[in-house]
Amino acid sequence: MLIEFNLNREKITVDAPPDITLMALLRDYLGLTGTKEGCEVGECGACSIILDDKLVSSCTVLAPQVNGRAVMTIEGVSEPDNSPNDLQENFIDYGAVQCGYCIPGMVLAGEALLTKTLQPTRADIREGISGNLCRCTGYQQIVDAIEGTAQERLAKQNKEQAS
Amino acid sequence: MTKNRTNIGKPTRRVDALSKVLGTAKYVGDYKLPGMLYAHALRSEVPHARIVKLDVSPALAVPGVKAVITSDDFVDNGLYGYPKKDKYMLAYQKVRHVGEAIAVVAAETPQAALAGVQAIECVVEGLTAVTDAAHALDPDAAQVGPDRDDDKHPNLLDTFIVRKGEIEPQFENSDVVIDNHYRVSPQEHAYIETEGALAVPAPGGDIVVYSNSQTSFITRNNLVSVLGMSEDQVRVIQPVVGGAFGGKDDLCHEIAAQVAALALKTEKPVRMTLSRDESMIASYKRGSMEMHIQLAADSDGTLHTCKVESRQDSGSYASVSPFIGWRASIHAMGPYRYNACQIDVTEVYTNNGYAGAFRGFGNTESSAGIEQAIDEMAEAVGMDPIDFRLKNCLQLGAELVYGQMLTDSVGLTECLNEVRQTSGWDQKRKTYANHNAQSKIKKGIGVAAVFHGVSLGAEGEDFAAGTIEINHDYTINLTSGLTDFGQGSRTVFTLIAAEELGVRPERIRMLRPDTDTSLYSGPTVASRSTVLGGNATRTTAQNLAHMLDLAAANLLKCDVEQLLRVEEAYVGPSEEPVTWENVVDHARLMGMILSTHGKWVAPEIAWNEHSGRGMPYFAYHFGAQVVEVTVDTGTGKTDVVGVWAAHDVGKVIFPQGAYGQVYGGIAQGLGYALMERVDYDLGYIQNTNFDEYLIPTALDMPDIEASLIEKHLKVGPYGAKNVAEPAMVPAAPATLNAIYHATGRRVRDLPANLERVLLGHDLRKAGDSTACKLGLLAKPPNN
Repeated sequence: MLIEFNLNREKITVDAPPDITLMALLRDYLGLTGTKEGCEVGECGACSIILDDKLVSSCTVLAPQVNGRAVMTIEGVSEPDNSPNDLQENFIDYGAVQCGYCIPGMVLAGEALLTKTLQPTRADIREGISGNLCRCTGYQQIVDAIEGTAQERLAKQNKEQAS
Repeated sequence: MTKNRTNIGKPTRRVDALSKVLGTAKYVGDYKLPGMLYAHALRSEVPHARIVKLDVSPALAVPGVKAVITSDDFVDNGLYGYPKKDKYMLAYQKVRHVGEAIAVVAAETPQAALAGVQAIECVVEGLTAVTDAAHALDPDAAQVGPDRDDDKHPNLLDTFIVRKGEIEPQFENSDVVIDNHYRVSPQEHAYIETEGALAVPAPGGDIVVYSNSQTSFITRNNLVSVLGMSEDQVRVIQPVVGGAFGGKDDLCHEIAAQVAALALKTEKPVRMTLSRDESMIASYKRGSMEMHIQLAADSDGTLHTCKVESRQDSGSYASVSPFIGWRASIHAMGPYRYNACQIDVTEVYTNNGYAGAFRGFGNTESSAGIEQAIDEMAEAVGMDPIDFRLKNCLQLGAELVYGQMLTDSVGLTECLNEVRQTSGWDQKRKTYANHNAQSKIKKGIGVAAVFHGVSLGAEGEDFAAGTIEINHDYTINLTSGLTDFGQGSRTVFTLIAAEELGVRPERIRMLRPDTDTSLYSGPTVASRSTVLGGNATRTTAQNLAHMLDLAAANLLKCDVEQLLRVEEAYVGPSEEPVTWENVVDHARLMGMILSTHGKWVAPEIAWNEHSGRGMPYFAYHFGAQVVEVTVDTGTGKTDVVGVWAAHDVGKVIFPQGAYGQVYGGIAQGLGYALMERVDYDLGYIQNTNFDEYLIPTALDMPDIEASLIEKHLKVGPYGAKNVAEPAMVPAAPATLNAIYHATGRRVRDLPANLERVLLGHDLRKAGDSTACKLGLLAKPPNN
């Protein structure tokens, strides 16, 4: 069937079977392998994407369910020239990356949180990434990176409002 | 020539972080080649059986199926294993655990591969399963282990001893004795990327395999042996690996061999990546262990005798359990001084899955027992747990129980003092009793210490090698035979090479491991990369730096000793700087080949397995952690509210990476303490995905305050030691000690889950849990 949706700010139409997951659509039909497979039961968050404004595990969504909606994957987070955005830069700077397998999902979890608030507490950040498992980092430097980005974005927003 | 240290220990970005945050890093499951076939395995649904019929011909009739392999497709039926050859690349004659692979199908689509697996006719005849390690050596226990040529029980895998003096008189003459049993459960590695491999046929019948195993050379050597090929015909490349923690060895070697055999048979690329359920069912775990610990001390708190008897369940195959059991024995008494010590570790075969390497490698298990027993002894002699440890712990100049003197880099006292201060220990120990008398939410704070032998020790020959080469565009290629599956060693090696060459780290491209371009360096295990691989990189880079110094001296018409470095440039007596590129060009004009290699061999050690004495490791890591908990006495729920860690890691080379190892190790330790248990019920695994096997989330983790204590190790690169494994070790016993401090009730079985904390025992499960919950056949493989 034809599935029409907005993918990383571009309208696309893709022909795919109706019974596959959004994760399979992204990885196998669109070649977007930044979305990782970790458990296929919606527990690990490695396949997280942002659907409209909400963080969801793409393994728990059927591909046709995204018809007419907006999907953001890790490939849509970076700057137009493919350089990392501020949150991705901070993941590097704060040492939040080890094996990297959970990181695309973690970055998206961070983005989903930061669209809701730029003044999250560390507990809010932990809550925001609690659906994303990481076995390497103990989460601390990931929380640091999201916290640092929130502060920078808030300062930037305040500066823009002041001027 | 004088140089300032510009890269070592300074804040740096991880060399492979960019592609990982962008999502462009390619893991093995992200590779897709034209014409690639998908492989799927038929796996045992029973813990112990004889294979009486295996007919794969119906699978070959399934549309899309291109080939099927069994143990017949390998030399010697695919027998492999180190240090003990007891496992097959595919089950041969018998299956010994649920999830053991029997045959593998390659097909054009994942669905066809699955249909092929379902079509295979496999008839098994059930054998009695041995599922209680305590009875594995009973005379009438069914045979799980291989036949042996002595009169010992075939289910006996190995035994290890440590001996010092006579323990009996010491126990008789002591004021206080502690005598208790402790148990730890199997633990799943839970790397978020599962196991997988892609084999690509190459011209001339050669084969290239992309495998996420920890050690590409061991994968290569296994392929050479079971495929009957020569080393130059088999190339193994390690793509980006999504975590390992000790868990990506045997099963990854098997998958690599399976897809390689299928690729050779079909002359097409073949890939297999496991689903989470398959991974959890088929992979090896940290084995369970039971410990009987007896300690004796004088009433003044002087610890003097330790006796430990441990039994480790290796499950159905040896894997590296003999090395794990040895390390467990060496660390079983904890980092303390004793007059007499007697350690006995026994490892047995059962049909409970199988056990293998996992971070801490026997020390995690041993320390979960001894560090609780030490706390119990501190209480029995009426001392504060940190005071008691400080009084008895290993210090510079102390003699380890095996007879080895500690002559270098011993920071345990500093670590204990550090966590005492950063955690606010003394005040909390004093005030929580008052709080707990009035509240249902009890507060507690506990401590544990660790020592951990650096690298392999007496497990085997211990060396690493690297290569370095300057390219024509003045970039530098660096290789190591040791691999990076997330721990950060590529960054450590890059910094070391940059330091020795006096160049910017950005010039250096640390290549991924590839058996055709890097040099064999032993396994990537045992937290050995920084010391072994770091020293090898340093030697390699020094060899190249020496050549460039000679070229620079020639160019500047001076002696090497007169050269100065200003950033990358060389400056001679005339104070006219020449660029690094100029020196490289001049070296080439002089006829130099700017490509070197280097090897570093660890200092000699010696262990006598018959006397249980010797020098097991050339150096030790030391550390201490304090964990603070709250325990809800209404529900048994334990929350970790603070962790303070101090680790003597020697000189820190890549600080961000070192801290990351400490935080991540603590997370795995807290999971081990409170929630992680692979449950084998009569040999049937009960937890097959993250909905049943829980690991800590960000909400389960408190903010951690870590201190790195830098007691330089003379033979370490710039004084560096190790960190990855020992960072995990103290977290679990410190948590259990904290729970005891909170509740006054000791949980000696890990994990300290709700019912154990609340009721002091497990709840019985109703119903039959031996129904096969594999679901392997009901679910299509990944594509």
